Amino acid sequence: MRWGRWPSPRSMSDSRFPRWVFDHGSEPDPRFSLANERTFLAWVRTALALIAGGVALEALGLPIQPALRLAASMLSLVLGLVVPILAWVNWGTVERAMREQLPLPGSKVALPVGIGVSLVAALLLLGMVLR
Amino acid sequence: MTTPAMYESGLQPERTTLAWRRTVISLLVGSVAAARVLAGGIGTWAVAVAVTGVVLTGLIWSMAAERGRRATRALADGALLPGGGLLLFLSVVVAAAAAVGMWYVFA
Repeated sequence: MRWGRWPSPRSMSDSRFPRWVFDHGSEPDPRFSLANERTFLAWVRTALALIAGGVALEALGLPIQPALRLAASMLSLVLGLVVPILAWVNWGTVERAMREQLPLPGSKVALPVGIGVSLVAALLLLGMVLR
Repeated sequence: MTTPAMYESGLQPERTTLAWRRTVISLLVGSVAAARVLAGGIGTWAVAVAVTGVVLTGLIWSMAAERGRRATRALADGALLPGGGLLLFLSVVVAAAAAVGMWYVFA
């Protein structure tokens, strides 16, 4: 897969953070970089929703079996903690792949979130049934 | 060879700035809601958390606004886009918010 090259001054050495991204390859089309950034922000907003949900479950005292409700809340919060970190690593590896003109790596974030959210829903469903 | 002027320099940075705006609004709403919720659980810490949240949100927003301006210049002049420092800072802030949430739920 060929990414568009961006005509940037070659004399400039790239000192941007982080080094493990910008020390490799050359500048891709900025539209792809901006799209990568927007994807990262979307995951961050997802994490914020997971955190809000996790706190709300306990704060609102919903009529769900307490142990299962707590488990669902904690799982949601753990996801909220892990997702931003994964999203950052994902952003970096995608940016680097674009710089080196390699195929994009698969998303590291989507699968854990999908499984985690399904688990949270299952715990809550069970908690409502066993109330 | 395409010249930078051939790209519509407005659309992509604008979309990205809007994405930052959506994220900052979520952070702000979260900080205020957290203060409301935490007031019942961990009392005076709630004020500290809320103030910290709002201040950090304001900081992130001003940095994101500058980032958007720099991105627009980058597309117009062919300069380099900003690096990933602000993204890592945001990740850490949100992860910390999750940790505070866990503290609230368990305490």
